[in-house]
Amino acid sequence: MAIPVEMPKMSDTMEEGVLVAWLVEEGQRVSAGDVIAQVETDKATMDLEVYDDGVLLKKVVQEGESVPIGGLIAVLGEEGEDISEILARYSGKQEAAAEQGTSEAAPAEATAPQAKPAQVGDGAPVPAMTAGDGAEARIKASPLARKLAKEYGLDLRTIQGTGPEGRIVRRDIEAALARQRPPAEVVTPTPEAAPVPTSATPAELPYEAVPITPMRRTIARRLAQSKFTAPHFYLTVDVDVEKAVAFRQQLNELAEAQGRPRISFNDLITKACALALRQHPEINASYLEQEGEIRRWKEIHIGVAVALEEGLVTPVIRNADQKGLGQIAEETRALAEKARQRKLQPQEMEGATFTTSNLGMYGIEEFTAIINPPNACILAIGAIREVPVVKNGMIVPGKRMRLTLSCDHRVVDGATGARFLKTVQQYLEEPLNLLL
Amino acid sequence: MAIMQFREAIRAAMIEEMERDERVFLIGEEVGQYDGAYKVSEGMLKRFGPKRVIDTPISEAGFAGLGIGAALNGLRPIVEFMTFNFSFVAFDQLVNNAAKIRYMSGGQFKIPIVFRGPNGAAGQLAATHSTSTESIYSYFPGLKVVAPSNPDDAKGLLKSAIRDDDPVIFLESELMYGMRGEVNEDPEYLIPLGKARIAREGEDVTIVAHSKSYWIAMEVADRLAAEGYSAEVIDPRTIRPFDFDTVVQSIKKTNRCVIIDESNPFASVSSEVAFQIQQRAFDYLDAPVLRVTAKDTPAPYAKNLIEYYMPSADAAYEACKQVMYVD
Repeated sequence: MAIPVEMPKMSDTMEEGVLVAWLVEEGQRVSAGDVIAQVETDKATMDLEVYDDGVLLKKVVQEGESVPIGGLIAVLGEEGEDISEILARYSGKQEAAAEQGTSEAAPAEATAPQAKPAQVGDGAPVPAMTAGDGAEARIKASPLARKLAKEYGLDLRTIQGTGPEGRIVRRDIEAALARQRPPAEVVTPTPEAAPVPTSATPAELPYEAVPITPMRRTIARRLAQSKFTAPHFYLTVDVDVEKAVAFRQQLNELAEAQGRPRISFNDLITKACALALRQHPEINASYLEQEGEIRRWKEIHIGVAVALEEGLVTPVIRNADQKGLGQIAEETRALAEKARQRKLQPQEMEGATFTTSNLGMYGIEEFTAIINPPNACILAIGAIREVPVVKNGMIVPGKRMRLTLSCDHRVVDGATGARFLKTVQQYLEEPLNLLL
Repeated sequence: MAIMQFREAIRAAMIEEMERDERVFLIGEEVGQYDGAYKVSEGMLKRFGPKRVIDTPISEAGFAGLGIGAALNGLRPIVEFMTFNFSFVAFDQLVNNAAKIRYMSGGQFKIPIVFRGPNGAAGQLAATHSTSTESIYSYFPGLKVVAPSNPDDAKGLLKSAIRDDDPVIFLESELMYGMRGEVNEDPEYLIPLGKARIAREGEDVTIVAHSKSYWIAMEVADRLAAEGYSAEVIDPRTIRPFDFDTVVQSIKKTNRCVIIDESNPFASVSSEVAFQIQQRAFDYLDAPVLRVTAKDTPAPYAKNLIEYYMPSADAAYEACKQVMYVD
């Protein structure tokens, strides 16, 4: 068992001793009564004897360092013994002793700055102060610092306090936040930029703190994961939707006459995608790195992105290729309504094999969407534009809509994506095919 | 606006209110023929006659009680104590009668009375003539306590105090009677009781200080400004009711607070303010609230000791740096 060698009390008035010289090396075997070092007390320089046999496993202090009585100087034991427990125990003890000393020395309100040197902005996280018995030492922090740490999600144990007795105060939180900020914001340290007053840092600009909701967190995590891991590429096609617009109008005249829900243009696209996916199973797929395979799904479930006040969700139309336009319209409407009322059940948002996102209603002509993992693709739907088109050598008014397919290049190649998009286009340009 | 001494501002307030309302009268030792021990009421006897500017024997309990009786019967007395140290002789009248009759009569009686006079230490006056009484009188529910720091506030606050239907303890300072400042001459210039004044805006530390201590605060704010720190100085003006909201708002901005108070430290105005701050602004504090007060002894006589005894700008400056965590 490892044995600690402590600083002995060598005179009545001694409070600490300076280790002047080591006389043995680490790894050297010593016997009880051997002198291993010289210690200078307030009176004289004296020999430090050990009271046990063993190997000097570690010199804890360097020559010239001062150690209070009872402080750890060295560890004896047998070769290869674990001494971390002893080291931890003594480091805890020393902190406790230091704290006791300061609180005795300083009257309640006159808290002079303490011995602990300020280490603002050193960038290094401070190890957790854990006492040897496992009890966590109380972290001293001002109420404001605690509140700010909570707001910014900082762990106080990782912050070095610069106030009296190591108290963490506002400036320490600000320094920690400054370190946390992405380096992009602090690069270009031109000589002029260097002495910017701290009041100009973004952390001190006026702001309103908006809590990150679970939904926002999910969006952030999933979309970041998608964009960072799936290499996206984009294909855009301009679809002639003249026939589709007329087709939809006809369908809706019927629907109104029969009291069925109207069909949106988006429903046509859902159906077109579903049918196109049947012909292009390589798009209805997922690249699953963990499983080590690409899966081509045998069912076609279309996720439809729905914007909400606080984020977005993608309810799923299951087996959309097997459903009629009327049913797709009805289900989509019901799910979107549920989503807006936040009554969507998890299973109604899971299992999409392909997703569409439509910003046409905002007049967005085209955009690129981030793939909804683990899908291989997502289709971004733009607005229907009235444009002059050339038909039979004549310029005539036409209707066009841009579709942009984002593809995960790990599973879909350019030509594959293009063929799929072509099929979607054909369905929309000859919409009667949607009924077959 | 006119430049006036503090004493002139108080006099102007009394004269205006006595002209406005014949129920208002002044009573106290030497207020009439001698023109006031500190010349606050100079010329008032001549102006209003002996029925409304009344000299009394040296009997604080007597004339304070007389004033309370007059107030109970519909007049609005201003009772001058030559110093508030002498108000202790009339303590029972103030804290039992003035403070409690409205409450004990179920609101049947109002006590519209002002007790005014110099308060606190004023140099080498020794222990019995150097008491800061704001902590004592603000202890009692039923009394309002006002302690202005400048002539303009003195006038506006005294007029409000005279018009108030409750007893008001109005604390002046011998050392400030000669202080000059701009004073609003509008006879309807009233400063509401219970409303603090942000005398100086700042970001780094809030200093709360009333009466003479206010001037220490301003000096400290200047010293800090010279070093690049900005102190917000709040003069509460009224000790009770105390405008905690203004102080708390300020601390939400500065996160630190130092209170300067000439009272002895134990159970003083600053104790209460510090308590309220920690209760209302706990999560905004970046440092313990510190206060700078008189020492916890009777006031000494010797010049060097009374200087040491009183709260000093140096001590307040150090306290500010301590709460800002700068050396």
